[in-house]
Amino acid sequence: MNRRKLLSTIATLSLAAPFIAAPALAASKEEMVEILKVVDDRQKNQGDWRSVAYIEQKEKDKVAVVYEALVFRRSSDEKFMILFTKPKASQGQGYLRIDKNLWFYDPSVGKWERRTERERIGGTNSRRSDFDESRLAIEYDPEDNGEEKLGAYTAQVMTLKGKAGLDLAFPVIKLWVDKVTKNVLKRQEFALSGRLLRTSYYPKWQKIFSESRKADIYYPQEIRFYDEVEKANSTLILIKSVDLKPLEANVFTKAWLESKSR
Amino acid sequence: MDSLFLDFRIALLSLFEHRRRAFFLGAAIAAVTALLVLLNGLSNGIRQTLVDTATTLSTGHLNIGGFYKITSGTAGPVVTEYAKVRDIAVKALPEIAFTVERGRGWAKVVSDENAMQAGIGGIDIKNEGAFKQVLRISSGNIDDLAQPKTILIFKSQAEKLKVKVGDAITISAQTTRGTANTIDTRIVAIAEDVGLLSQWNVYVPNEALRALYQLREDVTGAVHIHLKPEFVNNLAPLAARLREALEKGGYRLMEPDPRAFWMKFESVTREDWTGQKLDVTTWEDELSFMMWTLNALNGLSFVLMVILIAIVVTGIMNTMWIAIRERTREIGTLRAIGMFRGGVVRMFLWESLLLGILGALSGAILGTLIAFALNAAKISVPLSVQLFLMTDTLKLAVAPGALVFAVVLISVVTALAALYPALRAARLKPVDAMSHFG
Repeated sequence: MNRRKLLSTIATLSLAAPFIAAPALAASKEEMVEILKVVDDRQKNQGDWRSVAYIEQKEKDKVAVVYEALVFRRSSDEKFMILFTKPKASQGQGYLRIDKNLWFYDPSVGKWERRTERERIGGTNSRRSDFDESRLAIEYDPEDNGEEKLGAYTAQVMTLKGKAGLDLAFPVIKLWVDKVTKNVLKRQEFALSGRLLRTSYYPKWQKIFSESRKADIYYPQEIRFYDEVEKANSTLILIKSVDLKPLEANVFTKAWLESKSR
Repeated sequence: MDSLFLDFRIALLSLFEHRRRAFFLGAAIAAVTALLVLLNGLSNGIRQTLVDTATTLSTGHLNIGGFYKITSGTAGPVVTEYAKVRDIAVKALPEIAFTVERGRGWAKVVSDENAMQAGIGGIDIKNEGAFKQVLRISSGNIDDLAQPKTILIFKSQAEKLKVKVGDAITISAQTTRGTANTIDTRIVAIAEDVGLLSQWNVYVPNEALRALYQLREDVTGAVHIHLKPEFVNNLAPLAARLREALEKGGYRLMEPDPRAFWMKFESVTREDWTGQKLDVTTWEDELSFMMWTLNALNGLSFVLMVILIAIVVTGIMNTMWIAIRERTREIGTLRAIGMFRGGVVRMFLWESLLLGILGALSGAILGTLIAFALNAAKISVPLSVQLFLMTDTLKLAVAPGALVFAVVLISVVTALAALYPALRAARLKPVDAMSHFG
């Protein structure tokens, strides 16, 4: 190839580059959305859920507190409830979502309080969404950040930005998804200001057969949250005794939670 | 008239005649009056300090605050389009001296070493002359609060967070829509503690607070209304007039609730409404959580006053009984030379009233002087007491009205205490009295 021909080829390629690259980028975003949908779908039960959650909260200069709670979910109408069983001071306290409202019940005062959905559960660094079904594809728009090695795993990294009009606890999330299994490995949540607030690790995923879905579903058996503002604080969540059998119809009611609080 | 003057003269001479006893009794009355004046000065001083400090740091004499609810489950302590609200207040209340706008928030304040929950006050330091006078800055420059993303904290907070002027502090909170947000601020001033309020209040420029909560320019936390001094003691009718004016202006108002704004979050969040509702509060409402200290002090003062008066009454009656016993023959002689029973009563009443007035006046002067001396000595109060007094030194405020009250009360009580012994003396028969040996 002579010099003139080479320059002409480079010039042609340079001019064509944006047109060639554009479909590639669009495809990449769609790919990210697809990955997110798979991440959500693998955890979707399409039925009822009952599990025991152990939440350990560690704070600087304080004794670590371990909470034990029962978590109930119903996919059909996005119902959700947490009932604390330990320690004694928190026994009987509970959160119940009815429609779009999260309610908190404290048996010591016998009153229900409306709380924001983005509230810290039991004062720990966990949120309602950490115990609920994954809705990342519904709530966020993803952006490809390439691949990254996380130990032995190759992860797809993406930045998720909250969709307009939705009230989300974290407006920006950075996600590391296992390329092979599509399980979330790591997650970082940012404030509106761009400051990193929380880093989460998902070291253990467990599968369980769902009768309602007629397929295996996956759930994180262990989640570790590290507070990035108060560096010394961390939260560990262990999810055990998962049961996907249908729950009684009256479980997601204030009366039921109150009766269990007595 | 002449007989009245005569009775008064006899009483005066009698006091002089028995000057030793009169002196001791007068001294006791003076001591009790001085105690009463000091007690009242202490109670009044604490109240005055509390009002002065609190109405500068965290509340106006009256406040227009309220909540804005985007959804029925999320409440933000804000007043939207506050300039309109302020204009209505200024028009409705000619008693207003000035107003200031303060941002309100509740957030986590985090340093590299520690963290704490704190009330975030948004201020515009250029318009806050009194604020600068009330706070004593231990390090830094309070005027630097005019710079963006700066913060003023208190000494005990600086110790807890292990920070100094120039260090960075992150404030973390949820916006009114519940989204996590942070701002990084630089400490420009550390103020000396001012009691309980300095345990949980920090101050940032209004712009920083708006950035944290993603609020618009025309949004503030509350309009603090400061009244001319002559109107600060009668807030209820002014608050009622303000509420009426705001309602006429088309605003929805919350039911009167004598609690601080941060104590209302729970009930407001439970209520099923959206949009803006305004709330008119007094400084006493905003400090309701610490008003018990004033009420307890007032209660204690009352109990002590009753005890002191009981002591005066017992002392006077006892002394009068002794005087009558000693002067029975004198009474008999006065009656024999033509003094009526009423004259005898008046004579003894004049005596005790004169003694009461002289003793109470001396006591009032003594109490005032002691109060001045204690104020000049700037006596430090223990830390636990500072928390409630919102000052580090003891301050006694002796009001002229309280002085007059103490003098009149003690004088009248002294005179009344002598009434019964005087009546008994008047009932003596001249013959029996003259032949009395005791």
